Amino acid sequence: MAPVFAKKEPALPAPAGAQKQLSLVRVNVTGQPYDYFRPWQKKAPFSKRALGAVLPQGRVLVTADLVANENYVELERAESGEKIAAKVKVVDYEANLALLEPIEKKFLDGLSPLELALDTVVGDRLAAWQLEPTGALVVTEGLVTTVQMMHYPMDVGQFLTYRMSIAMQYRENSYTVPLVKNNKLAGLLLRYDSRSQLLDAIPAPIITHFLKDVQTEHYRGFPSVGFSFFPTRDPQLRSFAGETGKPAGVYVTSVEPNTPVGKAGLQVGDIVTAIGNNEIDPTGNYVDPLYGKIEFTNLITSHAYAGDALALKIQRDGKPMQLNVTLDHRSEQDYVVPPYNLDQPPAYYVLGGLIFQELSRQYLKEWGGNWLREAPQRFVYLDHCQSELFPEGHRRIVILSQVLPANNTIGYEDFAYLTVTKVNGKEISSLGDLAEAVQHPINGFIKIETEEDPKQIELEATQVAAEAPALQETYGIPSLQRLE
Amino acid sequence: MKRAIIFIWLLLLCGRHLDAQQDTPPPFPTQPNPSAKPSAPAPAIVPVPVTPPRPNGKIQNSLVRITVTEAEPDYKAPWNAGAIQRGVGAGFVIDGSRIMTNAHVVSNSRYLTVEREGDPNKYRATVLFVAHDCDLALITVSAPDFFKNMTPLKFGGIPELESTVSAYGYPIGGERMSVTAGIVSRIDFQLYTHSSIDQHLAIQISAQINPGNSGGPVMQNGKVIGVAFQGYSGDVAQGVAYMVPTPVIRRFLKDIEDGRYNGYVDLAITYSKLQNPAQRKFLGLKDDDRGVLVTTVVAAGPCAKVLRQGDVLLAMDDHPIASDSNVELEGARVEFPEVVERKFKGDKVKLNIWRDKQPMTVNVELNTVWPYAIQGHRYDVRPRYVVYGGLLFQPLNLDLIDAYQPTDLRIRHFFDYFVLEQIYLEHPDVIVLTNILPDPINTYLAAYRGGIVDEINGKKIRTLEELAKTFSETPDRFVVKMIGEGPPLVLDPKQVEAARERIKTRYNVLKEQNLEEQPAAKTPQEQNKI
Repeated sequence: MAPVFAKKEPALPAPAGAQKQLSLVRVNVTGQPYDYFRPWQKKAPFSKRALGAVLPQGRVLVTADLVANENYVELERAESGEKIAAKVKVVDYEANLALLEPIEKKFLDGLSPLELALDTVVGDRLAAWQLEPTGALVVTEGLVTTVQMMHYPMDVGQFLTYRMSIAMQYRENSYTVPLVKNNKLAGLLLRYDSRSQLLDAIPAPIITHFLKDVQTEHYRGFPSVGFSFFPTRDPQLRSFAGETGKPAGVYVTSVEPNTPVGKAGLQVGDIVTAIGNNEIDPTGNYVDPLYGKIEFTNLITSHAYAGDALALKIQRDGKPMQLNVTLDHRSEQDYVVPPYNLDQPPAYYVLGGLIFQELSRQYLKEWGGNWLREAPQRFVYLDHCQSELFPEGHRRIVILSQVLPANNTIGYEDFAYLTVTKVNGKEISSLGDLAEAVQHPINGFIKIETEEDPKQIELEATQVAAEAPALQETYGIPSLQRLE
Repeated sequence: MKRAIIFIWLLLLCGRHLDAQQDTPPPFPTQPNPSAKPSAPAPAIVPVPVTPPRPNGKIQNSLVRITVTEAEPDYKAPWNAGAIQRGVGAGFVIDGSRIMTNAHVVSNSRYLTVEREGDPNKYRATVLFVAHDCDLALITVSAPDFFKNMTPLKFGGIPELESTVSAYGYPIGGERMSVTAGIVSRIDFQLYTHSSIDQHLAIQISAQINPGNSGGPVMQNGKVIGVAFQGYSGDVAQGVAYMVPTPVIRRFLKDIEDGRYNGYVDLAITYSKLQNPAQRKFLGLKDDDRGVLVTTVVAAGPCAKVLRQGDVLLAMDDHPIASDSNVELEGARVEFPEVVERKFKGDKVKLNIWRDKQPMTVNVELNTVWPYAIQGHRYDVRPRYVVYGGLLFQPLNLDLIDAYQPTDLRIRHFFDYFVLEQIYLEHPDVIVLTNILPDPINTYLAAYRGGIVDEINGKKIRTLEELAKTFSETPDRFVVKMIGEGPPLVLDPKQVEAARERIKTRYNVLKEQNLEEQPAAKTPQEQNKI
């Protein structure tokens, strides 16, 4: 198929006077994340003010990070200040998109919904729309410099991204700024660096995929790739893999547990040469009609939906084969160390003062922006290498997070950030396992074994039960456990 | 006693400067006013002012100024001899025609000279013994009669807290001996930064100590009560300096009596206090505040065959161990590993233990524990490495980490847990592909940099020697599997062979591999030969 070169249409809206109706509303969000160090508590509430793009059928589009852990969402008309409560209809944290609906649809009357512009290419000019405090529209133009696959904030897989060079003006509450091409929505601001003046945007194709999926009965999310790969530029690697024919494709270095490609039979050492009719070059790119060379993972994420069948053409030991893959979205709960946990309370189990939780990246993010260096490095290592260390999957890592000083925990106060291996002799793969094993003390003692020193911690079962109410009262713990 | 690595902003007090720098000339008195009557020319000799009583006698008779030329190995280009540096430290004469100083003054030295007050000569010196695990060294001068006119100093005990001490040395600020005085501020275990893995008793003093003081004696009532060796730099803390105390010095002198320095020995276990009542009951212990729980027994250590995780240590050499891990030793309460601090290689230690609710006695024969070595700085060794196909393979150790500062999680994990998670059992050498010297045969291999070698052609590679031996064979290809999920690194031996000279010449790789860490030991006569 020959590449389609989109007509370069002006990004700025029509001359003054014609644009009477706005396509933006203000969105005010109040939220409270859970405190992963005191998992029975929530942290202090935060407020965020942002902009939302008005879409057809009475909906408003924002980025997902705006509404993470929200308690209350409100829409506000820019010109009148009129407000109304809104519900989050669908949220996808991986693609960083969320759809809001006011509790009364007619609230959006008089606003003109945005259609989507799907044909943006490198060299196009897009306009960023912001609002003055008075409600007047502020328009800044920028140039699309790159279209490529990039990591989104939740860092689960890569998604198509527009990168723009643009001198954004500072305006308050400029969160989730829409990017527009000829009055159509071309993208949503993902992140902006004011020093380099580079903006990354969630592009319209991803938004469209999201909206189409919302139409179905059950929002399924973007299909997961499920395997890691490496370019085959090195002729020595190609020869080792037994590749025949011209150099093409990528070398499969790992297959994530329990994923569609794994179920279809993909193995480490295979060379993936094409997806459907799209050939993959030795660097991992295919030729997209709009964007030219771009990483093949775009075919799985942007173009396909969970449930679709995909033909994966591979070479195994020099022989061409085809694998038929039924794509699916990999739930974040499927991971050994889940990549995020939002809008849900963390699971925990408090035993005599020992606080047990399941390791997750949400827990590690409690160490702030620099958590990669500052969180307990052992845990960061377990998260980073989880598919290699736990190839079977289907389990969690239970940790002893902290110890609350109490009668039961005298001498144990300094223990923290330990990995639990067994409780009362039983292997532990989940918090549920721990809760169950605790019910069966050995001669009246609860024995907890850890991977790291001290290797063993014992509590007296009857004493733990007897002092539980006092522990709850001292530390203000409403309930000593919350399991999934 | 070994501990986990702690990061401390301590400086070693050996004054270093580059070869080219000039020494600062001694100050001359200011010139007289030109309009005044011409006065006598300025005197050439700087008078030493007469001072009030010298509490420790004429130290100039015992003190020497040591100038060292050292070559520090370059872990990034390990085939090179290393950068040449000069430094200044102090030393003092002790019995037996020996001069005591710090290990870090003479480590990696290529040429040593000593000078003394009132003697214009520079004397060639050679190293007799060096202890990198407690930062002490003994050197000697072969010139006859050198020691005839010098007064050997004697050692005292542990000084009292708050008592006055004087430090002698050759720090910045002049060329002649300097004296500073202070008090004893603290007596405690500290990390000895020279190795950065050993902790021993160290005494903190408030005397101002600066680079050039290293190796100098700290004295009280005419006796040496310590050797100045490290301190905090002025921007971190002021007036905090440390000296090696006499118990450590005496142990060093005793250790070398057999002609070899064997080093500190270690139990190589970790332990946990037993203060929780439920845990004590579970283990069947009495309510007597005694015992610590053994949590890790290092397989390469001396306790491997006699102790297990879960044992309770009740007494060591008949000293009862309290549940907070302290024992009473010579009237002071110290952590029980202090008992082992005073022992020597081959010594035995008796342990009364409690296992499966029964008392037992075990004996441990003490030894140094080799896996700890990679977690401390190494000196007077040549870096081990293999260059193959322009790929540089090196075993992981603290010096390698300092040189490359890797941020890779796996490398840090393998280093930090090398002993505790017994990684050394499978990987006695953690072999890292540290660098690639670009050449057409390796031009696509950049992504493998920082990887740890696991297997070659299906065979596990545990040491650098095994790696070198495997690469000396000539199969059709080498398939090098790194640890973790990643593609194998594939090399064609014929192509590597064809590129060898090209790579050697282009990058000036003088030697393609070094598997020997220690050069053959040289006698003092051989050392004097250059």
